[in-house]
Amino acid sequence: MWPSLVDDLYFVLHDSVTGHARLHPRLTSLALAGAALAELTLTEQVTVDLTTPHDRLYATTQYATGDPLSRSLLGHIIAEPHHPVGTWLLFFARTIYADVRSRMVAGKLLNPPARHLLKQQPAAPVDPNRAAWPLSRLNLTVQRGEPPAIGDRVLYGLLAATGCAQRVMWEHDPAFMTAMTAALPVPLRRLLAQTKIAVGQAVISRR
Amino acid sequence: MSLTEQRPGAVTAALAKDRLGIPSIVFFVVSAAAPLMVVAGSVPTAYAVTGVIGVPFAFLMLGAVFALFAVGYVTMARHVVNAGAFYAYAAQGLGRTMGAAAAWVALLTYNALQLGLYGIIGSATEPLLLDWFGASPPWWIIALAAWALTGVLGLLRVDLNGRILAILLVSEIAIVLLFDIGDLAHAAPGGIDVTGFTPGSLFVPGVGAALATVVAGFAGVESSVVFAEESKDRHRTVPIATYAGIAIIALLYSFSAWAQTVPTGPDGIVKAATEQGPVLIFNQAGAHLGSAVATIGSVLFVTSSIACMIAFHNTTARYIFALGRENVLPAVFGRTSARTAAPIAGSVLQTALGLIVITVYAISGLDPVTKLFFTFGAFGGLGLLTLLTLTSIAVIAFFARAPRGETAWRTRFAPALSALALGVIIGLMLINFDTVLGVAPDSVIRWVLPGIFVLAIVLGVAWARVLKATRPEVYANIGLGPQALDGDTR
Repeated sequence: MWPSLVDDLYFVLHDSVTGHARLHPRLTSLALAGAALAELTLTEQVTVDLTTPHDRLYATTQYATGDPLSRSLLGHIIAEPHHPVGTWLLFFARTIYADVRSRMVAGKLLNPPARHLLKQQPAAPVDPNRAAWPLSRLNLTVQRGEPPAIGDRVLYGLLAATGCAQRVMWEHDPAFMTAMTAALPVPLRRLLAQTKIAVGQAVISRR
Repeated sequence: MSLTEQRPGAVTAALAKDRLGIPSIVFFVVSAAAPLMVVAGSVPTAYAVTGVIGVPFAFLMLGAVFALFAVGYVTMARHVVNAGAFYAYAAQGLGRTMGAAAAWVALLTYNALQLGLYGIIGSATEPLLLDWFGASPPWWIIALAAWALTGVLGLLRVDLNGRILAILLVSEIAIVLLFDIGDLAHAAPGGIDVTGFTPGSLFVPGVGAALATVVAGFAGVESSVVFAEESKDRHRTVPIATYAGIAIIALLYSFSAWAQTVPTGPDGIVKAATEQGPVLIFNQAGAHLGSAVATIGSVLFVTSSIACMIAFHNTTARYIFALGRENVLPAVFGRTSARTAAPIAGSVLQTALGLIVITVYAISGLDPVTKLFFTFGAFGGLGLLTLLTLTSIAVIAFFARAPRGETAWRTRFAPALSALALGVIIGLMLINFDTVLGVAPDSVIRWVLPGIFVLAIVLGVAWARVLKATRPEVYANIGLGPQALDGDTR
């Protein structure tokens, strides 16, 4: 397993030098929540119950493992196995942005956010090259028309779900993009579809 | 408590904290209706343009019709996931083709209501500027300033937050009631006359024109159901908030419309309203309560109009976004701004239309209050009634297939009665549409404007047919809201 999908998404959604966000915090949070659930799905710790109308999410393991953040997410899912994916996205989106940021600061991927003259500066990446890599990798894959790794396909699906893909991809080839996510396992496709729904509702919502 | 009993878990509890209660939804709904703007702007215009003194009764009667409509409407909201808009109801009750037609009518309606507001902001602001600086720019400069503000806030996705709206709304209602008391304390020599509340005062030639004005004042109450997903208890919160919103609006407007007639007497109101227009109630308040109170009222009139503009701008932009996302409109309209999460294409389209309308009216020199605010308001009102009628029929059709445990009153009788009443009102409005527009009875334009809605329905139906033939997967999703995307991988 390569570096975390969540971390990669965080880097894609933020400037690799300054750490400024590219996307509205609410949408960033939903995308990160989607990435965290996708990671748990990829490591086969949770899956989507396709027999239910609302895509119930449940844990396939009894014991939460991994780093504290994944353990905490998985702990919630084990404790309440009856919620649909959409509910989990909303629930995790409340806190995940801050949690991921502190995890990445602790992991020496981001510098601690500095304070300049009352204005909170964003947490800048420790190594801009490391931060720029996930997006470059995605772009190069598209450019070369190579079959991307499964994690990159999910990453791409999340970018499309938040409407960020058009902004960050060098070339926009809808057919190739669709093909990229269409070959994913069904639970992951459901997860991406639910993320897109949650994003749409966040935009329409009046708050 | 046994261990197996399912308790509301941490997840539900945490999400419930963010959900809306009855007061929040009532505030959203009533502030979209902008009480002071209706009382100061629409009511005197209605008296002046139509010459009907039964406006107070018209508000009560329409309130009753809206409440009747709401019975079926909120019942269906319990059973339709993401009851976003009228077109979703039409699509699920009457089929996807009618859903697309309703979508186009709704788009026209909300656009008209939003654009019409640019006509009132000038006359709301002018008296204040004259008072403070001794001079005022032409109305269209003020309208352009409001237009720019609305456009920028729309792109930044700034919704006036709930607390500001609440403060504005409460002060608006307080000032309206204060004005009413002032009016009552200074009755005309003939004494307090309640003619305005009698049906006879409304059902005179011109009744349709009076109704046309009054309808637009209710625009916004139908938005309560879009909060279903975000409310604490979708079975209780939304219905109560809807009825409360309708009751507050109908009673407040009716009482205030009547109070305006008290100082002049029912015989004098039409003349006074014609001469003074939107400053009528502020002149009355100035005479009764002193100029300070009148000035506060004028300031709130401006803020009320701007808040209403922003609310309608954002509603329309979101509506365009939802349709774009479902591919009922071109997909470009489903785009959002990454930084602000604003429905960017819808917002820009809305802003562009605003500029066109202001420019056309400024160049042609048409009166902004009667020809823009009032005409667009009445046109939007006609569209709103068309949508309500369609929706009532959709409710009947929806529950005819499966009653889903609801009573016959909610699923059949109330929607049928409301469709009938709405149909009659639409008929009356069409009979008097020449008066509404201020044109000769044989003028072509009186049929052209309502004809636009017929055209919208025809185009909507045609568009749905095209979609069905060329992109059946898009057609299959019409009316499902954001859930529409759900279908693509299943």
